[in-house]
Amino acid sequence: MKQVDDHAAQSTPRPSAPASGSGRPAGETYVWVTGMGLTVGLTMIVLLLALVVYNGVSVFWPRHVALVEFQDDGATRFRDGTRALGVILIEQDRDMRDLTPEQRDSPNPADRREKQLFLGNRDAFGQSFAYFSAGDIERVSYPEEVIRAERMEWGDAIFFPIRLELQDADPIEADDPAFDSTLHKLVDEVNARRAAITRIERHAIGQINLQMRDLELEERFYSRQDALTPEQQAARDSVRDRMEQLRAKYEPLAAEAAALRAKQEENRLVYRLVTGDERSMPLGQVVHYYYPNRLTLAGRARLFAGHIWGFLSGYPREANTEGGIFPAIFGTFVMTLLMSVAVMPFGIMAAIYLREYAKQGPLVRAVRIAINNLAGVPSIVFGIFGLGFFVYFVGGNIDRVFYDRALPTPTFGTPGILWAALTLALMTVPVVIVATEEALAAVPRGVREGSLACGASKWQTIRYLVLPASAPGILTGLVLAMARGAGEVAPLMLVGVVALAPNLPVDAIFPFIHLERKFMHLGFHIYDLGFQSPDSEAAKPMVFATTLVLILLVVVLNLLAILVRNHLRKKYATDKF
Amino acid sequence: MQKRQQRAVPERFVVRRATLYFDRFMNQFIKVGGLSVIVAVSLIFVFILLQVFPLFRGATVEWRKDMPVPPGQYVVMGTDEWSELPFFVNAGGEVLFVDTVDPGGPHNRGHFTRTPGLADEATVSAVAFNEMQTQLLYGTVDGRFAIVDVQYKATFPERGGREVAVELDETPLLRIGREGVPVRKLAYGGSGVQKLVAATQEVEGEFELHAVSLAQQRTLLGAGELSVERSYDLTEFLTGEPEQLAIPRDADAVLIGNTDGSVVYLHFDGQEFTRRQVFVPFEDREDRRIATMDFLLGDVSLVLTAHCGANRVYSIYRDPEADMRIWGHTKTFPDLDRGAVFYSASMRNKAFLIGDGRVASLRYGTTETIRWQEDLPVQATLAALGPRYNRLLFLDDQYSLHFYDLHDPHPQAGWRTFFGKIQYEGQATAEYSWQSTGGRDDFERKLSLVPLIIGTLKGTLYAMIFALPIALLAAIYTSQFLDPAVKRYVKPTMEIMASLPSVVLGFLAALWLAPIISNAVPSVLSAMLGVIVGAFGIGYLWGQLPQRIRMLLKPGYEFIAFVPFMVLIAYAGWHLGALAEQFLFVVEDPDTGLVIADFRLWFPRATGLGFEQRNAFVVGFVMGFAVIPIIFTITEDALSNVPEAFRSGSLALGASRWQTAVRVVVPTASAGTFSAVMIGLGRAVGETMIVVMATGNTPVTEFNPFTGMRTLSANIAVELPEAPYLGTLYRTLFLGAMVLFLMTFAVNTVAEVMRQRLREKYRAVE
Repeated sequence: MKQVDDHAAQSTPRPSAPASGSGRPAGETYVWVTGMGLTVGLTMIVLLLALVVYNGVSVFWPRHVALVEFQDDGATRFRDGTRALGVILIEQDRDMRDLTPEQRDSPNPADRREKQLFLGNRDAFGQSFAYFSAGDIERVSYPEEVIRAERMEWGDAIFFPIRLELQDADPIEADDPAFDSTLHKLVDEVNARRAAITRIERHAIGQINLQMRDLELEERFYSRQDALTPEQQAARDSVRDRMEQLRAKYEPLAAEAAALRAKQEENRLVYRLVTGDERSMPLGQVVHYYYPNRLTLAGRARLFAGHIWGFLSGYPREANTEGGIFPAIFGTFVMTLLMSVAVMPFGIMAAIYLREYAKQGPLVRAVRIAINNLAGVPSIVFGIFGLGFFVYFVGGNIDRVFYDRALPTPTFGTPGILWAALTLALMTVPVVIVATEEALAAVPRGVREGSLACGASKWQTIRYLVLPASAPGILTGLVLAMARGAGEVAPLMLVGVVALAPNLPVDAIFPFIHLERKFMHLGFHIYDLGFQSPDSEAAKPMVFATTLVLILLVVVLNLLAILVRNHLRKKYATDKF
Repeated sequence: MQKRQQRAVPERFVVRRATLYFDRFMNQFIKVGGLSVIVAVSLIFVFILLQVFPLFRGATVEWRKDMPVPPGQYVVMGTDEWSELPFFVNAGGEVLFVDTVDPGGPHNRGHFTRTPGLADEATVSAVAFNEMQTQLLYGTVDGRFAIVDVQYKATFPERGGREVAVELDETPLLRIGREGVPVRKLAYGGSGVQKLVAATQEVEGEFELHAVSLAQQRTLLGAGELSVERSYDLTEFLTGEPEQLAIPRDADAVLIGNTDGSVVYLHFDGQEFTRRQVFVPFEDREDRRIATMDFLLGDVSLVLTAHCGANRVYSIYRDPEADMRIWGHTKTFPDLDRGAVFYSASMRNKAFLIGDGRVASLRYGTTETIRWQEDLPVQATLAALGPRYNRLLFLDDQYSLHFYDLHDPHPQAGWRTFFGKIQYEGQATAEYSWQSTGGRDDFERKLSLVPLIIGTLKGTLYAMIFALPIALLAAIYTSQFLDPAVKRYVKPTMEIMASLPSVVLGFLAALWLAPIISNAVPSVLSAMLGVIVGAFGIGYLWGQLPQRIRMLLKPGYEFIAFVPFMVLIAYAGWHLGALAEQFLFVVEDPDTGLVIADFRLWFPRATGLGFEQRNAFVVGFVMGFAVIPIIFTITEDALSNVPEAFRSGSLALGASRWQTAVRVVVPTASAGTFSAVMIGLGRAVGETMIVVMATGNTPVTEFNPFTGMRTLSANIAVELPEAPYLGTLYRTLFLGAMVLFLMTFAVNTVAEVMRQRLREKYRAVE
């Protein structure tokens, strides 16, 4: 086929070929018009990818912090002062309606422009971003002593450090050479302690809580009974005993966590805001800090990599607008994996049936058309089906049969990762069937006939010859299905995705894989951050970064599929009988 | 059999039995498995259908039991929430309760009578019943009234189960109208602060109408005593002999039905009464006399029956001509044989039970449908609809109480609700509208799918307007003119675009693109137009250049050569658009007198249509990203697969490459192109996240590009998480999903059939 294509290109006439009376080939104008279609299409995709990559990457780049000073006689003030400290993000034209008549007619175009600054310190200023009229800015400088610190709450802080107040030592002033190294050491300690607290609370106490919940359900079941048999009474007493034991285990753990927490508050950092206000915070608040105006390029690159790693491996904070997206990546991964496990055997089986077993006729053709069509049915239809059938019908019945003690609290009768995976499996099964069928059809007839003639059974032929030959094609279908599943959001919103899941669907607590749990998903994370968060401006960098991760994931999966397909084509081009 | 086989086949050809069995097993397994996957997948449609089906079923009513009731001259009948302890009020004001649970059982309380402790044993002359609040109204012969609350309460006695207890809570007797003159008719309406009672009296053959507004003291212990705040003599407003009286819950009106068939609407603003309207509900009928006049749930619709049996609903709405809220005829029901004898409104929805004795009919106000109607085996004198909309109770003239079970989970559902125009309460005209939730319990749900279907088509339309030309042109260029070496990279790039998650597109559309586009609509339009015109212009100019220069550009690379031009043209077009805005789209701000050049302000003023930041234009543009690659890929495949002989033949005969493409290749592959467009259409119809994020999700019925819309798919995503399981809304959303399913399935089937036909065609020529 490819050869033929090349041949066609050679035979394409040069524009010199005479065709019409004017001696010029007719319709060259329209060739350009069709070319415009392709140019626009390609530009769109390139621009979009560039936009996402640029915005997604620049989130992590440690940028300079500018000290902006306004003219004394100008109208612009920041909290009654003439200075503002922050990262300059953009400069743009101001809305005509906001301008005074003087500004509108001013000869200086800077009067009609404004700069957006990221200020940080949401706890002090109440806002993270501000616009300042560019015309009123007198001077912009980049003071070296400025620190930008990522905190557990209230977002980043940008400030001039004053001193460290230590519990068991003299305070260290900011100009002391030991200041930076001490702060660095203390922040490391704080982070280690925070990890320890998380370990205790999330894992040890979390496990106790889960066991406690199960026991409470059992206890409730017994206490609801009118009369208990002796065995039941014994069982109830043992349940109560175990509850006591758990409570006893819980106490020291909680105490340990509380002690660690108290230690987090011991040392304080005193700092000055650009407005001159002096504030202080416990070091337990600081996640990490740096001097944005002192960094070398290499230092910046190192921080950049660190930020990216923190984003990919961290847990979200502050209604998802800060911290990392690890649970979302993990949730997407587990869900896609479950989906693949569900979709692969069924999709392949159906395709083998259609191609190798079913008698080819109008009925099979109709089935094939129907399956092709199902691939085009909107995903939300699968979502509503998943909610109605899997969650309410199947899940509700499972609850009634196996989890009746927990009722009316649903266990499987509520959206969860299993139902999400099954719904997406149903949605992608047509993709797998179609791809597998194509791959099976591409295996030449001669291969099958030869095998059968050698005395192999039909199943042996399929198992040892047809399937291995078509494996790459099947794999392509599966990868495409995974890409589609990973990027889909609409049905997931109905069947199990949440903005913030307290627990991962897979963890160290028996039975390790918790199929009934709700989970986080990259796509839904984008939707939730961009549209449900109270401060969508503050969330925007996070959305872009998450978007970049999701696009990378999907594009890589698709490229993989395309590569496999191309490889396959070449293979069969030479393999023809 | 086996022995013979063993003998016939030499040893080395004998297949292990295990292999054979396994083969047979796998054959069956694959067949069963494969078939069941296909069946399971097709069950999706069956399941959705099963969810939708109950919407189109009517009510079922089943007889449950009969019970005797002590004879009496009953005028009012009411019941508790569980329909276990109904009551009957006789003309003397006595209230009789009948325990209907387990008659003859050990805990049955039989029947018992309570007389409201009216302070001084006043003689009752009139009884009225306020069904919605289970309140009785008593008027006395000496011109006073009292309001009696029938308070049901579920108690849980020691022996288990539930027992309904009842208490009567009455106000003291308060004055109304002339002292010493019997009250003939009375009505009460009140909730919250404003409370109003009206009564008619007959003084020496002349009718008088009086009203009092009531005040309730607030004490620390809750609501205190009621007292008369102000009295009004409304006799001057009477136009005839009053027969019916009604006061809505908001206590802002008194409605008087006269014996001559007219209804007077008095408006009460809290201080004064004014006569707003006099209307004759049955003006076109010979016998205009009104038999009954009662409210539907919410007290903004009146159900009227005439003595001739006609049954109509009047609702209050803001009349655009009169510019005030007046009553108008909104619904007409089939006639009864004569005026209604009994009436009971549902407390759950807009249904009402009405009948003339023999015939009982359960009707639904919103949809003008009869949910159930039957000839009763008895002559009913009173009826009550269980407050949970699950029982019908009839009292016949032989003092037997008949219980019926009512099963009607979706009374509002029906073709008319989903696809027809309905004049909802408060609306001046019949409309298609969707509004599934409201602030009040008595809110009338609007469940028309038409605005959603229109929204879906609107989104699709704008997506296709944008995507179709680009996708088709790009496909023609790629398959016919593009250098094959480049094509190897171009196609996967476009396919990557198809895989972009729609949530990403939606996010970019809403938070990044929508502000940009809405700030500069003229610039965007002129840049787009510029690129199109520019392509024609440059193509033409290029054709005019001498061959020497044209030889410099290798054919198949025009699309790259166009890039710098496109950038230039788009840049120029952008600024030209901004310039045009300065001169063309100028409005004067009415508040400040400032003259502003802004398309966003100009467009609504010039066209009377809305302008929103998140609009169909943005959605169409971004949905292009989703649709273009699909149409492009399939069209390109179809064009590339046209047998090479066609092309070579055409070129050999001296046709130019454009002539070959347009006159030979494109027509041959037209079926494939058509199928590509259909599949793209299917994708646009079902797209969810882009629409959810990039529009305001307001249901609309117009095609204005600068407002948003709500599509079927977005509607499901937005509303399903809040819809109660198996409720009307839940099933309606499934109906929406079914419509969506059918739309895409139809479109895709057409596409698929076309594609198969094309394949056969090619096979024929090859």
